[in-house]
Amino acid sequence: MKMKKLMALLLASVMVLGMLAGCSNNAGTPSQAPASNPPASQPADDNTDPAPAGKKYEGVELTMWSMWSSGEPQANVIEAAKAAFEEETGAKVTIEFKGRDVNKVLAASLEAQDNIDIIEDDYKRIGTVYNKFTYDLTEMAKAANYDSFSYKCFNDQSIAWAGYLNAIAEQPQIGGIFYDKDAFAKAEITAEPKTWTEFLDVCQKLKDAGIAPLAQDSAYCDFAFYHSLVRHLGEAKIEELNMNGGWSGTAAEQAAQDIIDLVNKGYFVDGAPDEFPSSENKIGFGQAAMIVCADYVTAEVNNQTGTQVNWGLFNYPAVDGGADNGAAYMGANSLAISSYSKNPQAAFDFIMFIVSGEYGQKLADEAHQIPADSRNTAPADLTGTIETLQAAVSPMTWCAGISANADLKDTIKSMCTELFEGKYADGAAFCAALDALYK
Amino acid sequence: MRKNKAMIFWFSLPAVLSLLIMFVYPVCRTVLMSFFQVESVTATMSDWSFYGLGNYLKIFKSASFLTSMSNMLIIWFVGGIITLALAMLMAVTVTSGIRGKKFFRAVIYLPNIISAVALATMWIQYIFNYDYGLLNEIVKLFGGDKIKWLGTDLKFWAMTGSFIFGSVGYYMLIYISGIEGIPQDLYEAATIDGAGKVAQFTRITLPLLKGVIKTSITFWSINTTTFFLWTKMFSPIDTESSTIVPVIYLYDMVFGGKGITQRDAGAGAAVGVVLTLIIIAVYLVTEKLFKGSDLEY
Repeated sequence: MKMKKLMALLLASVMVLGMLAGCSNNAGTPSQAPASNPPASQPADDNTDPAPAGKKYEGVELTMWSMWSSGEPQANVIEAAKAAFEEETGAKVTIEFKGRDVNKVLAASLEAQDNIDIIEDDYKRIGTVYNKFTYDLTEMAKAANYDSFSYKCFNDQSIAWAGYLNAIAEQPQIGGIFYDKDAFAKAEITAEPKTWTEFLDVCQKLKDAGIAPLAQDSAYCDFAFYHSLVRHLGEAKIEELNMNGGWSGTAAEQAAQDIIDLVNKGYFVDGAPDEFPSSENKIGFGQAAMIVCADYVTAEVNNQTGTQVNWGLFNYPAVDGGADNGAAYMGANSLAISSYSKNPQAAFDFIMFIVSGEYGQKLADEAHQIPADSRNTAPADLTGTIETLQAAVSPMTWCAGISANADLKDTIKSMCTELFEGKYADGAAFCAALDALYK
Repeated sequence: MRKNKAMIFWFSLPAVLSLLIMFVYPVCRTVLMSFFQVESVTATMSDWSFYGLGNYLKIFKSASFLTSMSNMLIIWFVGGIITLALAMLMAVTVTSGIRGKKFFRAVIYLPNIISAVALATMWIQYIFNYDYGLLNEIVKLFGGDKIKWLGTDLKFWAMTGSFIFGSVGYYMLIYISGIEGIPQDLYEAATIDGAGKVAQFTRITLPLLKGVIKTSITFWSINTTTFFLWTKMFSPIDTESSTIVPVIYLYDMVFGGKGITQRDAGAGAAVGVVLTLIIIAVYLVTEKLFKGSDLEY
């Protein structure tokens, strides 16, 4: 009987231990590394115990949570960079491709100090949501002379949000009106429009040439309208109105009227605003010529339609008496290091490996993006984007002004779609409907 | 055999501990969290500040939350009537002795074995597509103008319709199992007494299926309260008011959305508690309405 009890106790203990082991956090793994492999938490020169092979980070383990999904061009380049980095430095890098929804778990995982050295996400979230858990990269960036080949606008913005440099741009983005140069040539348009009047003239010429001037997917209606709002009001004023109401009687009426005019003149392609990505694909099919979006639209359309559109880009046209006629959207998916990483220097070196030099160029070529290293070359379609980013001072945000009021954000987004559907008689009616939300 | 209490205790301990740690603790923490101002869902309790009913007042004053509740109630009520009625109709048809019963049952259940993501993609890209979608092809065949099925006016109904399509088979199976449990003698006796098919359905099938209907209403309520994936598929880039439901509102509130960096885990917890209360309320109401429905036959 005693034996039976003992067996029962042992079995139950094994089950409980098994369960606890299964639930245990593997964050402790690095601390269990042999003492002979000290983490390179300081710049490499301080690592006083190089392994016999003499490789810089022998024994160092890094874990990266990526926002890409396995198989995506970006993921493929990062995998290649990882293999080369491991070969060169002796470090072991584990990359978990978590996909776009990584942002839903990152904050909680960083708070719980999960085993993460490098994170990857939108630089605004890194600067404002994860900033409590990110490493100050200032000194390491200085040592790597990062300023000389990165974009000041992103670095300044990162410092403004977090108080220090906490993000390294990996996939810079620029917004504006992307267009098919061949469609422009067909419509005998020789110059990119700079003002709203010139833009309307371009639209009419395209329409006369049998090409729909504009494509628009409903998912980006708020982004497209935001450009018009920023031109007429500026971002600060938009945010103020977004929080408190009072749209009627302001230049927002003209901003909305500009869109309504485009709708009424029949400048949008049939079906617009359509379900993403149906409308943007019509540029690839030669049915539409222009779209307001960020630069990734070029790769999306090329991939989805199997064509190579001859892309061009110009900034959203200036309007008469505009409050901010020069603003352009600029953003970046970026890399950062967790504040509790035991190997920040190795992590930083790996980040540099990805964003600059050979792999930075591969990322630009294979993922069809603006290079994060300004010494590299942009894909032919994105020529000029490096210079534009280098010259930029204060980037326009992704709809931050009309997203500030989290409570009304979804409703306003849907109203923006309705604006492109032609549901409002004029700009005043649209603004009155906006103001009604605050009552 | 004599019960060995120690053995029972030690063997049930892991399961009890698992239940307490993985179920009871999160539930208690969520309920507690709903009365505090908490930014992050993993914040330690020392970072919480007491907010009373503030989170509940906040969500019930929120236009987005009220829209999401309204959308959910419409899906529950309208979608529920259509889904359960269609499922009942198909279950009765399939069990009525028609030829190819197994084939029809398999075909109607088929959408349930296809991933909801694939199903939603099929609806969006091949049925509702403005340019080459099946519905607009039919409209064009009859000489009509193409319709924007996924425009702001119709998107909610497009989503609800797709959801219903994917749900009918599941409830049909529940009803089929209920109908097949009713003794055939009852129908034979009714036939001899001169009762037609309609009378047999209303006088025999429906009353004897009360318990099954009660269960299906509870299941449907849980399904609509936890409605998430279909909204994500019909609003892939960002949340839209035409498709928002409370779980999406909760998700954006707790984790932030595109362009939103504010998070409020306390308000998210309050949404979770409200949804739980709704399910409990629906369960209690159906229990009351279908009281005494557990018949033995």
